[in-house]
Amino acid sequence: MRSRTPTPSQLLQRLGLNKLLIHLILMMVAGVTAMPYLFALSTSLKHRTEVFTPVPQWIPSSLRFANYADAMAIAPFGTYFINTVIVVLGILAVQLVTATLAGYVFARLRFRGSSLLFGLFLIQMMLPVHAVIVPNYLTIKELGLLDTRVAMMMPFWASGYATFLLRQAFRQIPQDFEDAALIDGCSGPRFLWSVLIPLAKPTIIAFSLISIVTHWNDFLWPLIVTDSPQVRTLTIGLAMFVQQESGADWPLLMAGTILVTAPLMVLFLIYQRKFVESFMHAGVKG
Amino acid sequence: MWRLSPSPTRPWPVVLLVVLIGLVAAQPVFAQQLVRLTFYYPVGVSGPLARVINEMVDQFNAEHPNIEVVAVYTGDYDPTMQKVQTAVMGGNPPDIAVVEISEFPTLLAMDAIIPLDEYLAQEDPSYFNDFFPAFWENSRYDGKIWAIPFQRSTPVLYWNKEAFAEVGLDPDRPPRTWDELAEYAALLTKREGGQVTRWGVTISGGWNDWLFEGFVRQNGGKLIDFENRSLHLNSPEAVEALEFWVKLTQQMQVAPPHSTWASTPADFVAGKTAMLYHSTGILTFLKDSATFDFGVAFMPGKKSYGAAVGGGNFFIFKNIPKERQDAAWTFIRWMTTAERAAQWSIASGYIATRQSSYEYPQMQAYVARHPEYLVARDQLQYAYGKAMSPAFQRVREVLKRALDDATAGRMTPRQALDGAQRQLEMQLRQWLQGN
Repeated sequence: MRSRTPTPSQLLQRLGLNKLLIHLILMMVAGVTAMPYLFALSTSLKHRTEVFTPVPQWIPSSLRFANYADAMAIAPFGTYFINTVIVVLGILAVQLVTATLAGYVFARLRFRGSSLLFGLFLIQMMLPVHAVIVPNYLTIKELGLLDTRVAMMMPFWASGYATFLLRQAFRQIPQDFEDAALIDGCSGPRFLWSVLIPLAKPTIIAFSLISIVTHWNDFLWPLIVTDSPQVRTLTIGLAMFVQQESGADWPLLMAGTILVTAPLMVLFLIYQRKFVESFMHAGVKG
Repeated sequence: MWRLSPSPTRPWPVVLLVVLIGLVAAQPVFAQQLVRLTFYYPVGVSGPLARVINEMVDQFNAEHPNIEVVAVYTGDYDPTMQKVQTAVMGGNPPDIAVVEISEFPTLLAMDAIIPLDEYLAQEDPSYFNDFFPAFWENSRYDGKIWAIPFQRSTPVLYWNKEAFAEVGLDPDRPPRTWDELAEYAALLTKREGGQVTRWGVTISGGWNDWLFEGFVRQNGGKLIDFENRSLHLNSPEAVEALEFWVKLTQQMQVAPPHSTWASTPADFVAGKTAMLYHSTGILTFLKDSATFDFGVAFMPGKKSYGAAVGGGNFFIFKNIPKERQDAAWTFIRWMTTAERAAQWSIASGYIATRQSSYEYPQMQAYVARHPEYLVARDQLQYAYGKAMSPAFQRVREVLKRALDDATAGRMTPRQALDGAQRQLEMQLRQWLQGN
């Protein structure tokens, strides 16, 4: 079907403006997304008296890098950073093992009570975190693991959410693949490793991102099971800047926020092409 | 004569020697047996206060070779209480904790803390009497004292002197009554084309239940009678206080109907509100941030001035060995000497909890430079204990919703407070009936 009068988009295309328009819109979206971060960066370099002005001030009158030194002095952020990385990766590594195995079983094997068992997994997803804090605390205490990094990881080693996601991903892979693999003599774990996991890569990466961000930002559980600064994580350090009775010291809070979020930002900037590619390559090739 | 004898027939000198060596070796262990204490503390005001606490604890440990206090930072008041509750339920209570004062009945209901009268009896009575009396009100139950005041505050009124001068008000005279407050707020509110560019007054949200208590006190009422276990949320005094809030927010539109506790100090500094109700805890922040001259005043009165105290108290926990409880008292006693209370006040901006703290030269020099810090102290003569009850977090939620519903114009003050009263009578039924 061809219209006689060109539609606006056709007109734009003819003028070569289509791409320009899309880029303009994308630039605006990018600007809106980056604005809070840039404003945090700007605030982190301001003097206290410059933070609150009737008209927002983007460029500090002088750059106070001392704010970063002051923020670093409030808590041992180096140690907290290392602990956070250990805890976040420690959770993710075990989660991926348990979730792929469980997801495989729920997606591909049929056994007595499998749907009941899967239902129990789903219930784990629905329980609010606060409901299980005391039971989890008791478990950790009985194991003698209070005030350790393992205490911060252990409750999350099995994830109902990850199991659910991977089960769905594995189920979407046609039975033909399994049949073909079986004929070629590839079964069980080998099939999981060589066929299912590569095909479910987008799901695995998406879940990994969610897991990293969730546990990077987790505050209450690490606060409750740890006491000593040697094992504590970044969010606890950051909390020292936010105060209930007096409001925050904004330049320091923003300096702390930049310090805490920068590693994730850098990670994403470096690997963003890979992340996006992995999503693009999803899908089954005939 | 306890030389080693080669004779196997007389083994007792050998035995004696072994016992003696054993005793000598064990002696230092007995003498220096270390009592380790866990101390949970929240940080409620800005500044490097965690470091201040750690320095004080280090000094205490250096002066007390047989006690080692381990200070554990536990976030704001709410996470602190969550950590305390989890630890108590998990059978692993801290030895000492600083907890928000209204949580006291919840700790009692959990049977988590011990009364401190036995320890207070060992002290000179001048210790107890030196604390400002209003600070003890949140420590009493069943004729006993269960908590020692530590980081304490009251709400006050801040006013922008430049804004006052701009509209022709005397910049050195804050409003003293509700009527004056309304009148000044009307003058100070600035509008541009239907938009408010500067509010006359802001009654900060978030902890507005605490501010509201002050208004009820000023009007001669009381929200919760803890001793007699009764609720008076919809008393005529409370309804009238809320009607005054609604008058400011809805009828005169000189105060914003909603705000948050964290953002209003910033609004004041940015000139978006000319007067501000907030904690004394923000005074240091305002002094560091404001580019204009401002003042600190008592909250304006109705029948009288009035305010509810706030902050955190020291508690000692149950189900820990007696020697640790004793050591915990030694620590609390050390942290609350008049001199240290003065130090802590200067570092944090909290009110020094003891009257004689203000006689220390260091403190006198400090308040001579910053007389604003004395306003909160002087307001204490009109101050009362903060409302408290078991499950106070829920009480706060219900009360705050009622206040917000009324100031937003969704309900009349009477409807909102009647509703809150009914709801809490249901929820606290057991406690109200004396169980």
